Amino acid sequence: MSDSPLVNAILGRLHEAGYRDLAAPFQVATVEFEFTAALLGTDGRALDLVLVVDTTTGEYGDRDSARVRQRVEALGRALDVTESRYVVTVILAGAPLGKEMEFLAESCRVLHVDGIPLDPEGEMENEAARNQLEDRIRVLLPLTLPSPLAVMEDGSGPAMEQLVRALPGGVDKTLLAAVTRASQEGEQAVTEAMASVLGAALEMEEGP
Amino acid sequence: MNDLLLKELDITNFRSIRGQVHVPLDANVVLVHGENGAGKTSLLSAIELGLTGGIQSLLRADPNYSRQLLHRSTRLGNVTVKTIGPDGEQRYEALVDETGARSVTALERQFAAFFGERTYLPQSLLGQLLQIYQESASDANSPLAKFVGDLLGLDRLDAIEVGLKPLADVRNVRKVAEGWSEAEIEKSRLDKLVEDQSRVRAEVVTTIGATIKELFRVCKQLEVSVDVDEETLADVTVELSGNEDEERFDRLTDQRRRLASIKRELATSDSDVIQNSALSANGVAEASSAYTSWESEYGARISALRSRVEKLLPLASLSNDYASFAEEARTLLQSERKRLADQAEQARLDIERLTKARGELEVSLRQQATIDEEISRLPTSAGSLGAVLSEISSYIDGEICPICDRDFVELECGSLAKHVQEKVGRLSASAERLLALGRSRSEQQVTVERLEREIEALEARVIDAKSLADIDRQAADFNQAALELDELAATLAEGSRLRTKDIAARRAVSERHSRDIARAAARETLNEFALTLGAAEIAEEETFEAAASRLERFLLSETTHLQERLTLRRKGIDLITTISSNLARRAEIETTIAHYKELWQLADDALQRGQTLREHGNRIRKAVDRVRSSIIRREFNDRLNRVWRDLFVRLAPSEPFVPAFRIPEVSTQRLQPKLITEYRDSGERGGTPGAMLSTGNLNTAALTLFIALHLSVPKTLPWLIFDDPVQSMDDMHITHFASLLRTLSKEHGRQVVISVHDRQLFEYLRLELSPAFVDDSLLTLELTRRAQRDTLCVSERLGFKEETALRMVA
Repeated sequence: MSDSPLVNAILGRLHEAGYRDLAAPFQVATVEFEFTAALLGTDGRALDLVLVVDTTTGEYGDRDSARVRQRVEALGRALDVTESRYVVTVILAGAPLGKEMEFLAESCRVLHVDGIPLDPEGEMENEAARNQLEDRIRVLLPLTLPSPLAVMEDGSGPAMEQLVRALPGGVDKTLLAAVTRASQEGEQAVTEAMASVLGAALEMEEGP
Repeated sequence: MNDLLLKELDITNFRSIRGQVHVPLDANVVLVHGENGAGKTSLLSAIELGLTGGIQSLLRADPNYSRQLLHRSTRLGNVTVKTIGPDGEQRYEALVDETGARSVTALERQFAAFFGERTYLPQSLLGQLLQIYQESASDANSPLAKFVGDLLGLDRLDAIEVGLKPLADVRNVRKVAEGWSEAEIEKSRLDKLVEDQSRVRAEVVTTIGATIKELFRVCKQLEVSVDVDEETLADVTVELSGNEDEERFDRLTDQRRRLASIKRELATSDSDVIQNSALSANGVAEASSAYTSWESEYGARISALRSRVEKLLPLASLSNDYASFAEEARTLLQSERKRLADQAEQARLDIERLTKARGELEVSLRQQATIDEEISRLPTSAGSLGAVLSEISSYIDGEICPICDRDFVELECGSLAKHVQEKVGRLSASAERLLALGRSRSEQQVTVERLEREIEALEARVIDAKSLADIDRQAADFNQAALELDELAATLAEGSRLRTKDIAARRAVSERHSRDIARAAARETLNEFALTLGAAEIAEEETFEAAASRLERFLLSETTHLQERLTLRRKGIDLITTISSNLARRAEIETTIAHYKELWQLADDALQRGQTLREHGNRIRKAVDRVRSSIIRREFNDRLNRVWRDLFVRLAPSEPFVPAFRIPEVSTQRLQPKLITEYRDSGERGGTPGAMLSTGNLNTAALTLFIALHLSVPKTLPWLIFDDPVQSMDDMHITHFASLLRTLSKEHGRQVVISVHDRQLFEYLRLELSPAFVDDSLLTLELTRRAQRDTLCVSERLGFKEETALRMVA
């Protein structure tokens, strides 16, 4: 494992997302490759090969843009040779390596993670930091959609549920029930239901 | 795969596609490649036409687009789309000719709309998307409003909101709610009635107050010490009904009467005195001296005369008054004298008569003796014999005697009958004589007896001569006295007058005296009376009349005072009656008011209930508004913005600004989000996307917005169709986009159809989107347009292949 808190943070987050570490060094078409970290996705992302380059303290020439590009391009060629469908993503952790990296984008996906406030263990200081990190590697992370809207038993939908919740206490239940029921028939039905409840309430009881 | 999947597409003579093309679509990812003009857009729009019967993007550009749908060298075209899903295979078809397109079978409207807006992103739309969302944000039918509506089913909230709207204005409430107006009218009617009654009541109360005040005044005037208010009326009545004033009045009436009687008495006695008041003191003395001198002159003589008369008339009680004495004495003397004269006269007549009667007796006795003598000569039986003979004569027939039967002829002295007749005649004459004698004798006898009784009486009565002389003398004495009286008559009369005058004078003096005593007594009485009355004592100098009049005035004023008091009492009682009746009236009015108020309460209760419901309705409405706006805000912030941001950051990880919708904080019915940018790391607000983002990133923003909108709504149709979306993307973006497509396809079950014109990109995507697991699938379609020949579509299906490139270095 790397000593870099940033690398550790990135790896931690990727592990969370289901990526597993690829033992290094690894071989593709008899060529051996070694990176600060390499990971493979699972399931739908099974073809995702993620390489982490520690541009700050990394070995294997990580701090040299030319060497990084070289290695990545070599890996790309090796994969091409084996007709592999792996899709390579390079995460540059740390200071930018300069113009050289723009050319790298032609052959693989390049992500750059930098300036994330971290403690020495690689733990995010706060939610914002976590968000910043995730934003940098989001394309590798699962897309979380908002939870599906709950549908109430009577089919009135979340809006109705929220309406009922939002009502101040003591609102006439008969009126509410009638109006809610009628709401699926449209506004006219609501008016009629309201009028009916109101009419019933307006009936004057004759005293004894 | 359980989700609905586009299965295949058949196109004939549609737009730039000539002839018939069969397009398989049943894969997780469909990758379409073709040179520009090869028919990629035609192919994708054919899916829309087939499913929905129209093409939204073309409609936006040209309302008459449908005439251009047929491939220009042909006459008839059609599009058929097949889907496969849990409900099996569905077929949708549209026919195309020169006049336009006609849908045979299409998706239901809502699905069709979803397809048009959330599933298919035509190239033309990509450039306009942001602008569309920016410009029409406040329109109720804007894409955003539709988005929100679709997203949240806010239509029911809208229905409630609009349906309850009449509650906001009471005029509308009256229209819709039966009974509202009635209750209001009833209430105001009762209000009016209560008001009227209250006014009447106020009047009555005022009257009662005024009357009580007046009663209070009356009581005060009467000095009745009792509280005067509504509760004490009974006590006041008792007080006012007290009869002490009446008793006093009665007493006063008596006193007045008594005063009147005192006055009257006094007046009567005064009037007597006044008659005689002519007699002066001088007169009294004069009368006395005149009488005295008269008496000294005639007193002795008159006294002697009186003694003589009294001697003559010992039995008479003679008046002391001279005049009456003279009169009485003269009358008595004369009558006595006449009596004596008569007595003497009678005595003389008796003597004379006695002498005469004795002579008559003697004559009668002689006549009686004569008659006796004749009677003795006449047979006593002559009469009865005559009667017998007379009866016998009727039996005589002829000359034969019926007694002796001898023949009377023999005697020769006429007829028997005649004889008997003569005999009877004779006999009856004797009898008559006898009767006459008898009568005469009886008469003589009566005379004798009368005379004898007369004589006897006369003898007994006859007085002797001495006595007669005494009577004569006595008569003379009387006569003498009478004469003397006559002589003194004038003197006596004078004496009598003088004496009367003297006496009258004396009496008058005496009476005056006694009257003075009476007046003093009366004055005393009056004084006592005055004291009784409580009036001032009668002063020395005050006359009786003045005092009486003063007392009278006093009594009168007392009476007046009492009368006033009695009037006041009556008035008080009247007032109490008035108060009582007004109190009753007030009670009655109050009952009525209470009744009206009850009814009013009923109406008011009904209205209150209505009002409560109305308020509740309005609360519901407000809650709807609040909920909707909170839902909208939350949906935009928590869902849409979040997804959009996520997607945008995926594609542009190095862009520090991210686009977002901003919802104004003000709760508003109208949805008015604004497109902004935020600084990615801090959330600080930046400018509009147009100002802050590069063209490439703007494109990315639009693309990701489209996907975010698709992802934020329920998965109605799980398809995403992109028409060459990467034209202006740089390489870095494209790789990220490829990754995103993979994510959508492999993690979120979207069937992705994407066309690209760039060969290299196509190859890259083919690699990137390769099946990553067993069920994963990828279809590539190669469209080729050939001059004068039908369009060619070659498809290739790529399956999952185990990856073996990586080898671990052991």
